[in-house]
Amino acid sequence: MVETARQRLVAAILVLLLAALPALASLLAMPDLISLGTQVAIYAIATVGLNLLIGTTGLPSFGHAAFFGLGGYVVGILAFHAAEDSAVFGLFPGATDAWIVWPLAIIIAALAALLIGALSLRTAGVSFIMITLAFAQMLFYLFAALKTYGGDDGLGFRRRNALPWVSPRDDVAFYYVCAAALLLVLAGFHLVARSRFGNVLQGIRQSERRMAAIGLRSYRYKLAAFTLAGGVAGLAGALQANMLRFVSPDMLHWTTSGDFMVMVVLGGTGTLFGPVLGAAAMVLLQTWLAQWTEHWMIVMGPLLVAVILLARRGLWGALAGK
Amino acid sequence: MTPILLAAEVTKRFGGLLACNGLSLAVRPGEIHALIGPNGAGKSTAIGLLSGEIAPDSGSIRFGGADVTRLGIAARVRTGLTRSFQITTILPQFTALQNVALVAQVRAGHSFHFWADAHRDAALVDPARAMLERVGLGKRAQVPAEDLAHGEQRQLELAMALMTGARMLLLDEPMAGLGATESQQMTAQLAALKGSLTVLLVEHDMDAVAALADQVSVMVAGRVIATGSFAEMQASQAVRDAYLGAHA
Repeated sequence: MVETARQRLVAAILVLLLAALPALASLLAMPDLISLGTQVAIYAIATVGLNLLIGTTGLPSFGHAAFFGLGGYVVGILAFHAAEDSAVFGLFPGATDAWIVWPLAIIIAALAALLIGALSLRTAGVSFIMITLAFAQMLFYLFAALKTYGGDDGLGFRRRNALPWVSPRDDVAFYYVCAAALLLVLAGFHLVARSRFGNVLQGIRQSERRMAAIGLRSYRYKLAAFTLAGGVAGLAGALQANMLRFVSPDMLHWTTSGDFMVMVVLGGTGTLFGPVLGAAAMVLLQTWLAQWTEHWMIVMGPLLVAVILLARRGLWGALAGK
Repeated sequence: MTPILLAAEVTKRFGGLLACNGLSLAVRPGEIHALIGPNGAGKSTAIGLLSGEIAPDSGSIRFGGADVTRLGIAARVRTGLTRSFQITTILPQFTALQNVALVAQVRAGHSFHFWADAHRDAALVDPARAMLERVGLGKRAQVPAEDLAHGEQRQLELAMALMTGARMLLLDEPMAGLGATESQQMTAQLAALKGSLTVLLVEHDMDAVAALADQVSVMVAGRVIATGSFAEMQASQAVRDAYLGAHA
C-alpha cells in the first residue's frame, strides 16, 4: 500500500504535517487549526477501521457509527457517575482516568461489534448493508430514550479523562494525544494488512467462493475484522467525547455512519493513508463551506461524485499515484 | 481395492428438475476417473454434490472412509477432497505466487497472525514457489493473476488445488477453452499426477479422456449407467445408444 517512492513521500509529508500542526497553527495565527486537526485525527482513526472492512475485506458496513457512539457513551456515562459519585447500573463506580476508561470504551465497542457482526455477517451484499444500518439505528434510539443520560439532548461533563503528564485543559496536548493514537493505529493496520490475517481478508474481498475452495472458513475472519474495526471505532468515539466533553445520540446516527463511508471513499478505499486524507477533506470542507453557506452539501456532493469518477483510489490515488 | 470416493444413491432436485437421480459412483485411489455424458446429464451437478458446494436431498457420499455428506466445501477440502476449474477465477489482484502462497497459508492452520509480513514468510513462499515450478509457472510467479494467459491461469488453478494437499481432485472440464497446444500440455500435466493423486474429471474432449482415464463412467439423465475402461465404454451398446453413438 505504501510502496513507491512517491507514496513514501506523501506518507512522510502527512506524518510531518500531523506532527507540525500546532507549530503551523501558531505560525499562521490560526488557533482553530488545533481543534480541526484533533477532529481530523479522531475521524481518521474511526475511518481506518471502517476501511479495513470496506477496502480490505469488501464488507460495506453501514453501521460504523454504532461503535463510535458506544465508545463515546462509555466515557460520558462513566464521567456522569464519577461526578454524581453513584454506581453504574448499581454495580461499579464511575471513572475518569483515561487508562481505565479508554480501554473499556474499546472493549465494549468491540464486544458490541462481535455481537452485531456475528448476526450481520450471516448475510451479504445489500442485506449486510441494511442489517448493519438497522443495528446502529436500534442503538441510536436506545440512547435517545435513555433519559438518565440526557436522552435526545445528550450528556455533558466537565473534564476530559485524566492522563499522566497531560493537562486535561490543554488543547494542544490533547491534539498530540489524538495524533499519536492515530499514528499507532496506522502503524498497527499497516502491519495487519501485510500479515496472514490481512492476506486472508484480501482474498475474501477478491473471491469468497475461491477462499472456500482452498479450505478457508471465511466467517470467523470477517467477524474478527468486524470486531477489530468496532474496537478502533470505540477508541475514536472515546476521543471524540473527550474532545467535546459531550456525547449525544448524534454520534450513533446513520448520517455519521454515512460520513465515515464518504471519508473512506473520498480518501481512497483500501489505502493506508486514505482515511486521513478523507477525514481531512471532510472536516475542512465542512468547516469552510459551512461558513459560506449552510447548504454546504451542495458542494460536497458533486465533489464526492467527481472524486469517485476521476480518481480510482480517491485523494490518496490522486496524490500518491496508483 | 476400497474406493477412496463412494457416492451412493445421491439425489438432487432443483424445483421440477431432477438433476441427479440416484447417482452412484466409486472411484479407486490413484486412478484418473472420467465422468462423461451428454449435455444436461447432470455432470456439473454431480461435481457440485461431490465437492460440497451443493447439498444432496438424499443419498450419501463417503471420502477416505468417512461420511462427508453433510460437510461444506471448506471442510471437505481439509479432508483432502478439492475441486478445481470453473469454480470461479483465481484471486485476480494477487500475483501467481501470492495465490499459491495463500493456499499454503490456509493449509498451515488458522490465519490469526496479525503482525508478521506474510509475503516474506519463507514457510509459505518457498513451497509455493516450488509448486509453481512443478506446474511450469516458475517464471511467471510475480505476474498478477489477472494478467496471466488463459492456459496459465489453468496451470495456476492446478497449482492451487495441489497446494491444498489434496488427495483427490475434482476437475470440471479442465480442457474447456484451451487451444490444442495448451490442451496437450494440460493432459501431460494431469497424466503426471497419475498414481500420486486420485482424479475425477468431467470432460468433453474425448482425446483427453482416452489418453488419461483409467476408468470411465457414463452419466445419462442424472445417473451413472455404466463404468469401465474407455474401450469397454466405446464397445457398450447401451452407452453407444445413450451417448457415444454420435462420436463412435
